[in-house]
Amino acid sequence: MTTAAYLTLGAVLFAVGAVGAVIRTSAAGRLVGVELMVAAATLTFAAAGVGFRELDGQIAAILAIVVTAAQAIVGYALISRIRRPE
Amino acid sequence: MSVDQIVFTLAGAVCIAGAVTAVAHRDPRIAGVALAVTLLGLAVLYAGLAAPAVSAAVIVVALFSTLPFLVHLTVPASRIHATDGPTVAAAALALGATLLALLAVAIVLGEVPVNVSVRSGDGYDLAALGDLLTGRAAVAAGGTLVVLIAGLVTARAARRDRPSLP
Repeated sequence: MTTAAYLTLGAVLFAVGAVGAVIRTSAAGRLVGVELMVAAATLTFAAAGVGFRELDGQIAAILAIVVTAAQAIVGYALISRIRRPE
Repeated sequence: MSVDQIVFTLAGAVCIAGAVTAVAHRDPRIAGVALAVTLLGLAVLYAGLAAPAVSAAVIVVALFSTLPFLVHLTVPASRIHATDGPTVAAAALALGATLLALLAVAIVLGEVPVNVSVRSGDGYDLAALGDLLTGRAAVAAGGTLVVLIAGLVTARAARRDRPSLP
């Protein structure tokens, strides 16, 4: 597959995530939308890295994934703390 | 259609369908499952991009950050004795800070191959990656390993000291 196909898919995923982050009113829904946007950006990084035949894209993708993991766990922990009955 | 095109089409369709479901569905459990499916579809796409390290990282994220949240939402609130939220968050912060420190130190030492690919013709050059960690970046790797262990020990101690809920 061409790099353009991966970039197009990344753009579609980013658009879906952006729409979800805007239209959802719950914290979990917005967090899911943000995660989708970061995942789309990661796919774009990796695809561009492969397209330019450089390892920089994959390094940036791994860094973004690590940041996403930390962000997701912290966000979910906050949501769980809010949802938990006293 | 070649095998690559078929895999890309299927994985892309799964990703888009999962993303739309995750965004549109109001039930957080179904949205979480759809998000995990999307991440696993992305892992397949990364594998098709000849990026197995990124694919593995995505799978780890899907398994250890998204699925525990689903389990937490599935369990009724009355059966939850003590959420692991702050402890897991501390461990995640320690892990992220450790990897970021490793990357920063490696960049300072000039050990990150930003201009020279470490991949050989038949995949990742593991010997080059091993030389990277045991060579001049050994101090950075050892130091960040110590930080990682300290973070995990701290998280475990925090979990032990936290009073449990009735």
